[in-house]
Amino acid sequence: MMQGLLYGIRRFPVDLKNSDLFLLFLSIVLAVSAITGVTFLGDRLRLSIKQQAAVVLAADVTLRSTAPIGPKYLSIAKGQELNTAETISFLSMALHGGNNVLSSIKTTTPEYPLRGKLKLLDFNGQNIDKPTGSPLRGNIWAEQSLIDRFNIAKGDSITIGNKRFVVSAVLADFPDRNVGFLTFAPTVIANIEDLDAMGVIQPGSRVVYRQLYSGHESQIESFLDELQDLPAEVRIQRIENIGQQLGRTLDRSNRFFSLAGLVTIIIAAIAAMISARRFAIRHIFNCSLMKVFGATQGFVLSALIGQLLLMTLLATIVGVGVGLIIQYMLVDLLKGIIDSDLPGPSLQPIWIALLTSSCLVVGTVAPYLQQLRVSQPIRVLRNDLKLDYKSSFLINAVAIFALVIFLSILFADFSLVSTIIIGLFLVGLSLFCLGALMVKCCSFFDNQIGIGWKLGLKNISRRRGESILHLVVFGLSLMALMVLTETRSDLINSWKQSLSEETPNHFFFNIQSSELDGIADFLSPRIGQAIKFTPLIRGRLLAINSGSNQGTNSGRMIEREANITWYDQLPDNNSIAAGEWWGMEGESIQAVSVDEGVAESLNIGVGDELIFNAAGVDLAVTVTSLRRIKWESFQPNFIFVLSPMVARELPQSFITSVNIPEENTQLVDEFLSRYPTVTSINLNSALNQIKNILNKASLAVQYMFLLALLAGVLTLIATIFASADQRRYESALLHTLGAKRSKIFQSIATEFITIGIGAGLTAAIGTVFISGFLSTQIFELNYSPNIFVLTGGLIFGAICIGCVGILAVREAVYAPPLLTLRDP
Amino acid sequence: MKTPLLEAKNITKEVNSPEGILTILSDINLTVYEGQAISIVGPSGSGKTTLLAILAGLDLPSTGQVWLSDQEITSLDEDARAQIRGEKVGFVFQSFHLLPRLSAVDNVMLPLEIKGDRQAREKALKALTRVGLNKRASHLPNQLSGGEKQRVAIARAFVTRPAILFADEPTGNLDKASSQSVGELLFSINQESDTTLILVTHNTALSERCELVHQLDEGRIQ
Repeated sequence: MMQGLLYGIRRFPVDLKNSDLFLLFLSIVLAVSAITGVTFLGDRLRLSIKQQAAVVLAADVTLRSTAPIGPKYLSIAKGQELNTAETISFLSMALHGGNNVLSSIKTTTPEYPLRGKLKLLDFNGQNIDKPTGSPLRGNIWAEQSLIDRFNIAKGDSITIGNKRFVVSAVLADFPDRNVGFLTFAPTVIANIEDLDAMGVIQPGSRVVYRQLYSGHESQIESFLDELQDLPAEVRIQRIENIGQQLGRTLDRSNRFFSLAGLVTIIIAAIAAMISARRFAIRHIFNCSLMKVFGATQGFVLSALIGQLLLMTLLATIVGVGVGLIIQYMLVDLLKGIIDSDLPGPSLQPIWIALLTSSCLVVGTVAPYLQQLRVSQPIRVLRNDLKLDYKSSFLINAVAIFALVIFLSILFADFSLVSTIIIGLFLVGLSLFCLGALMVKCCSFFDNQIGIGWKLGLKNISRRRGESILHLVVFGLSLMALMVLTETRSDLINSWKQSLSEETPNHFFFNIQSSELDGIADFLSPRIGQAIKFTPLIRGRLLAINSGSNQGTNSGRMIEREANITWYDQLPDNNSIAAGEWWGMEGESIQAVSVDEGVAESLNIGVGDELIFNAAGVDLAVTVTSLRRIKWESFQPNFIFVLSPMVARELPQSFITSVNIPEENTQLVDEFLSRYPTVTSINLNSALNQIKNILNKASLAVQYMFLLALLAGVLTLIATIFASADQRRYESALLHTLGAKRSKIFQSIATEFITIGIGAGLTAAIGTVFISGFLSTQIFELNYSPNIFVLTGGLIFGAICIGCVGILAVREAVYAPPLLTLRDP
Repeated sequence: MKTPLLEAKNITKEVNSPEGILTILSDINLTVYEGQAISIVGPSGSGKTTLLAILAGLDLPSTGQVWLSDQEITSLDEDARAQIRGEKVGFVFQSFHLLPRLSAVDNVMLPLEIKGDRQAREKALKALTRVGLNKRASHLPNQLSGGEKQRVAIARAFVTRPAILFADEPTGNLDKASSQSVGELLFSINQESDTTLILVTHNTALSERCELVHQLDEGRIQ
């Protein structure tokens, strides 16, 4: 046994140079690269989730309330040796030199943040090392946008409430950015000890009190166990909740990469199956010969296992290396969408890689081992070196079954794997029919053309099965790429087209009712548009049908203050999904209309009673309709819309959205200097960012599908090599009969370029159908075939298959005919 | 008095065919002594190669026994027969059957490596020197002529110092000059090391050099 193993390992370098083992090796490398590329990326993103989740909270767990929480829980936590910090946040005007800006004020204790880092800059833009968690008393740190608005220099001060503060640093970043108030209000961090001196918190003020805790998981758990009697207004936020949200988003985005990885593995597995078959055929001779010279079945088997083990190990190492590079490329490509400063990957993908390669080898080669083990030495004398056809069929069935099981376990998603395999099978079947038709067509031409062409076309119809396999496998990989290219460009173009020139690109918030006429008079003549203001009411959903809102599955939605508006008429970009719009009755009924998506998640239906708190007043309103909102309209949209009767008299500010040409930045500056309390959001950068995200994400997925195309090329090479002996013999025979090498090459070029055109054509036809379906049914866009992509694919297919085919059989054509014929 | 090395007793070989059971060998009895050179001749399809395979333990007869060095190999399983082949049998084929990706020396090393011989390379090089191909040791089979390939195959067959060397049409794929030199080589090995030689051949010049010629016709020794 050991001798056989050592013999196999000793022979490995020579055998690896052998085309069949090398192709098998490449197939495994490709499959491993695809899976490790995907899992390394997924793994790094998953690892970063925990960190990000903690950073989002700036702690492992927080208590959050709109009323003071008191020191009770802090003392419990300190007793458990947890780290603690506190923040108190609110909105207030920051004043400087006669100007004022609504700012998000966050007061902190020096321990803040417990997770994540504060990033501060001095006024020269240099990083401040190891900042404390709160400024010295009498100092503040302000975000750059506020500093720019006030044109503050080093040592200048600003006033918040009754207290003047020196701006001692620029606040570049802080962890719990998304937990506070309006994220577009510039943030100022002050020392919590200065809070009383500001004198801005009055009874009824909207304030968020947070206590932050961090420590070992067990300490956190035991701390949480002691928080049984929390008041209703105090909420616990844990990183797990945040992590789940991020995880869901990640899972969705990772699914596309998984899909590409899956398709690559399946196509690589086809290449592996073809290579494994050739490996087995070649080894029947080797094994039989070894037996002639005294090798036992155990020796033969262990020699093969030794080689396969080594090949698997090497393929895994190379595959993991390539996967790592792919993953770095993807991270680089996705820079800006995902945090490029991700933690390093864990070792888990390496085990997955090893599992992938082992399963592929076991699934594709192992079934042949029994045939090789029991191969009779007499076969050498009889020159009987064929595989048992019935066993081969069984072996392929076993291999496919093993592959499905393995992929289902690997992707932990049987439905995804079976859908993809069935989908590929159906698309493959359609391509098979198209391919069979094309092969049939080739036979019609063969009497009307020259000998080179004739032989090439004859080869296609004679090697019918092989030709159709080329058409299907290569066509399938090419189609996947073409569909992605088409869909990607179509999606972005159509999305761009869907945004008219009048699509608003600036939002203005915090407009007071006294400013409405002035703002309309200022903006309207300058941009040539009528200015429409929408009321904005800060409120909070307290209860549904008089029940507590606790325990609902969208606590985040409820615990945060919500922006509410009121309409008398239904806006153009809203439509009624259930119930009825109030129309004129809005002036006489206490009603609310809810976004249908949010209604579904909160289990709200027409007729339910909701209780809101707005401006210190509790309002009971009845849901009279659910609305479908076109969020992509870039108009101000609201989840909750109250009837005019309820909201007309409530304290409210206004919001408007306008289209200001990108180059007219002066107008915005002039407007903001005239109305300094108004907050502006420029959507141009958001629009560009969305475009960028779409572009990058789809490009990254497309890159992953390039691997699938490579797997297709590999399958092509594997099938060509599988018939290399036969081709060598035929070439030698033709050469002996007087055919020039140029004629033989012409016939080979004809064969492969025709197959390439066929594959490109089948891929193009498939692309038109699939892209058409995706565009019209899934993305709800008009589909017009992209002629550049389709013809590009056709030309690429012809050139790629033509070149690969010619290169692969080149050796066979150049083999000395006498040797080939004498020693087949 | 030489002792019998190989004995075939009442060997019959039958195979299933679409026309029914086909008898390839019928009641063959044969005794071969140590150091003897015998040839088996006969027309194509007479069963020569099948007989050779059964004598070498590569195949089993339908009935009958084969004894090699006082051991009945026909009652052994495949692995045990392989072990005996590894120790006592060398084989030369008409089509050389060299492994195409292995160099000449690696091909010759094959039977030694199967036995786990640590001095495989030295012995293989010595065997190649013996057949006059020490300078071609690193050449691949496709870089060798037909005669050279067969000499490598002969080196591979006798590198383990087998008691008996089977050769199936060893000159069948060679020109006259190469046939002659391969024949010389086989008989000189037979004489030098007292290796028994069993030849299956159409080459009368070669068969006439053997001590004993068995004529096989329609599965029977005439």
